[in-house]
Amino acid sequence: MKIVIVGAGEVGFHIASHLAHENKDVVVVDKNADALRRVSENIDVQVIHGSGSSPVVLMEAGIKSAEILLAVTNKDETNLVACLMASMLSSSTKKLARIRNADYDDYHEHFQQHAPHIDTVINPEIEVVKTIDRLMQVPGAVDVGEFADGRIKFIGVYLEKTARLAGVQLSDLPSMLGDERPLIAAVVREDELIIPHGNDRLMAGDLVYFISEEDKLYAALSVFDKHAQPLNRVLIIGGGRIGFRLAALLDQRSIQSKIIERNPERCSLLAQKLNKVVVLCGDGSDQSLLAEENIQDIDVVITLTDDEETNILASLLARRMGARKTITKISKFSYLSLMTTIGIEQVVSPRLSAINSILQHIRRGKVISAISIKGEQAEVMEAVAMETSDIVSKPLKRISFPKGAIVAGIIRQEKIIIPSGESVIEPGDRIIIFATRKAIPGIEKIMAVKLEFF
Amino acid sequence: MRWRYILNIVGILNLFFGLTMVFPLLCGLFYKDTSVIPLLESMVFTVGGGALLHLFFRGAKAEVITQREGMAIVAIAWTVIGLTGALPFYLGIENCSFVDAFFESVSGATTTGASILTDIESVSKGLLFWRSFIQWLGGMGIIVLSVAILPFLGVGGMQLYKAEVPSPVPDKLKPRIRDTSMILWKVYALISLAQVVLLLLGGMSLYDALCHAFTTMPTGGFSTRNASVAHYNSVYLDTVIIVFMILAGINFSLHYQVMRGRPLAFWRDSECRFFLGAVLVLVLLVSFDVYGAVYRSVGQALRYGSFQVVSIVTTTGFATADYEKWPAMSQLILLLCMFLGASAGSTGGGMKCLRVMLCFKFCYKELFLLIHPRAVTHVKIAGKAVPDDIMRSVLGFMSLYMGLFALNSVILAGLGVDFMTAVGAVAATIGNIGPGFGMVGPVDNYALIPEIGKWLLIWCMLLGRLEVFTVIILLVPEFWRK
Repeated sequence: MKIVIVGAGEVGFHIASHLAHENKDVVVVDKNADALRRVSENIDVQVIHGSGSSPVVLMEAGIKSAEILLAVTNKDETNLVACLMASMLSSSTKKLARIRNADYDDYHEHFQQHAPHIDTVINPEIEVVKTIDRLMQVPGAVDVGEFADGRIKFIGVYLEKTARLAGVQLSDLPSMLGDERPLIAAVVREDELIIPHGNDRLMAGDLVYFISEEDKLYAALSVFDKHAQPLNRVLIIGGGRIGFRLAALLDQRSIQSKIIERNPERCSLLAQKLNKVVVLCGDGSDQSLLAEENIQDIDVVITLTDDEETNILASLLARRMGARKTITKISKFSYLSLMTTIGIEQVVSPRLSAINSILQHIRRGKVISAISIKGEQAEVMEAVAMETSDIVSKPLKRISFPKGAIVAGIIRQEKIIIPSGESVIEPGDRIIIFATRKAIPGIEKIMAVKLEFF
Repeated sequence: MRWRYILNIVGILNLFFGLTMVFPLLCGLFYKDTSVIPLLESMVFTVGGGALLHLFFRGAKAEVITQREGMAIVAIAWTVIGLTGALPFYLGIENCSFVDAFFESVSGATTTGASILTDIESVSKGLLFWRSFIQWLGGMGIIVLSVAILPFLGVGGMQLYKAEVPSPVPDKLKPRIRDTSMILWKVYALISLAQVVLLLLGGMSLYDALCHAFTTMPTGGFSTRNASVAHYNSVYLDTVIIVFMILAGINFSLHYQVMRGRPLAFWRDSECRFFLGAVLVLVLLVSFDVYGAVYRSVGQALRYGSFQVVSIVTTTGFATADYEKWPAMSQLILLLCMFLGASAGSTGGGMKCLRVMLCFKFCYKELFLLIHPRAVTHVKIAGKAVPDDIMRSVLGFMSLYMGLFALNSVILAGLGVDFMTAVGAVAATIGNIGPGFGMVGPVDNYALIPEIGKWLLIWCMLLGRLEVFTVIILLVPEFWRK
């Protein structure tokens, strides 16, 4: 499968690296020679120097034989033109574009049906707001994903020292918890991802990923000693595009919220557009301002300024001054792995969100959604089991699954089944698969529709 | 630098290299000659040694190889392969000292074609087959072959590829390095096959045809005959070999394009035009020079002149005439040819036409700037400006190349060989050509070079094959600092 990526920024780089690890043919196009050098020196892909919106460059990149075009530069205009050119040159190529400006929000469908024929418009900001919303709802979660239209949640929580599951062997779970136990899909310990087996133990400090149905979520969380807390007061620091979207959402829900923005003009604009939200003009890392606004009573502080360092500092400060929970926006991937060390647990990344939404569209077979976790080491995906694929109509234990992959859930009509070795997947079932990066090509092979000869 | 990991990979590569000894072994078995036992012993030793190295360090795994590690792996692997490739010669040829066997093996793998054997025809067929086969492997690159065939080299393969095939301008045929390596090897094998067929039609035996194709396509130059290609004394065979030497001297990605149905690819590529043009001009000059002075007829002058010029400029090193008896101008042109070399991305050595061409253009740009101090100009290739860092690395390469040539020939002369031999031997080994001048001319060989001199020339051959940087960087103290 050949994929052309326009834009070698953080998003382009990480998607390229992700796909190259899965042995796909990737061509990266960018105008910036330095960004390209970083790509060609680190990833096994082809690079082409030039503007992705130029038809000549796209032809050179082999757009005609490409299955997918990803336009992910930081300029909406370039992405749109790249898709337009691609649809002129090669109409069969699937096109995905990252478009961030809210002014285009109402036209996403128009783009699909008319001229550029963009199959999927990705707005990472919308995704980020959704992620923040989920993180706010689920107590103690550092990672929340949704499957089956939100009916199945995929949650990552840190195991505290005092938690009763710390030190417990997995095979002892049934006797401890009975049938209502959550399915533990993966554990991240000291930056390494483990798919645990019966005789593995959970340790304090582990980041545990589990899968749970929505209505059993709070019960599942209480197993990990995470208890529901009311969400009444929210403080947003940074009134940029994401901040505004989030504030507007909270405005509708009648949650008491405040937003701090430094730029007076932007403040006045926010104040015009928002009704109940209190707009404050000032610096989010200003202690006296935070104290004045009763930071100790705030349930969640979300830092969303454009400056990474400010976000980190403001979150740490808010936590120290008594805020119950913080969510921090981080864009630089290199920072992500440092966050737990300095005491920031809940992080959102627009770029990671963009990558997640792009990935689900790239997966072969009928993949409905895909979420990458732990700095892209692994992926959870939801897919439809096709009738002619290898995965259906035999017990799971007889399917030669690649190492590092498990089926974490089966959704049959309205029912959700947590599978065992005896479970059989039927055609048309939606299955949730958890797989490490290395196992993904193998999974794709199992899921793919086989060509049958008559 | 993760040494355990580096040694692990070197082990795998050596194991793989050892497995290729099965081909000469089959050849030896076919002819039932004396090479079977030494080849079998060498194969067991090489495969076993590689496997042990790999198993001993199998715990060391890595997701990515850094550029530095890639260079270290390639440089070390080439040295180790040179050593294990020498085993059949050491064990199978009487009175062959270890340094001689090592010299012969490295000369093969680096596609130099310089030999220490005084009587080639007395050596068993199995060993001569190995001698040719090792050149064929080294030509397109044993590591490129491993990258193409061994899947687990995956992402790290890119760093290895870059260290073994350092091209001034990066050239990737396919998005993935594995596919690129595979294509290059397929094209290489296909052209080699075509040459075998054409040589057979000219009356060569299958054995000789295979051995000569195996040394023409990598621009190696080992022959199975004492008199090299002159042995056959056939205009047809000379012509076939000339054509295939030129093909081997052209960038292989152009061959791929031609095979994909773009016949004008050769003409559209500016380096290829430069290379073919240079060959034509030099052939005419030399033929004109030797006409009358050495040869009576125009036909003969053209036949021998063109063969020798093509053989040297593509860095193959076959001989049909003793060019040391030619006039001074022809000899000097041949010496310059050793430095010019073939195209980048071909199997040839030397400094490469592309670099020389870029250097000319750069010099012209400097002159132009003296005349128009405020002009803004770029060095361009195919209508595109060459980035400054590539220009810098080209100039750096050329200075290093000339510097190392000068240094090594002084050292060689210091060991007691005469002026022409010192200059010729170093130019011919660092450029991976083979025959030089003086004591190491086309009708002589390297047997009489003093032992330390042989070690020096072995180093020169590795320098030339891995295009200087990959080898010389191991000598830079900064490389070893943590």
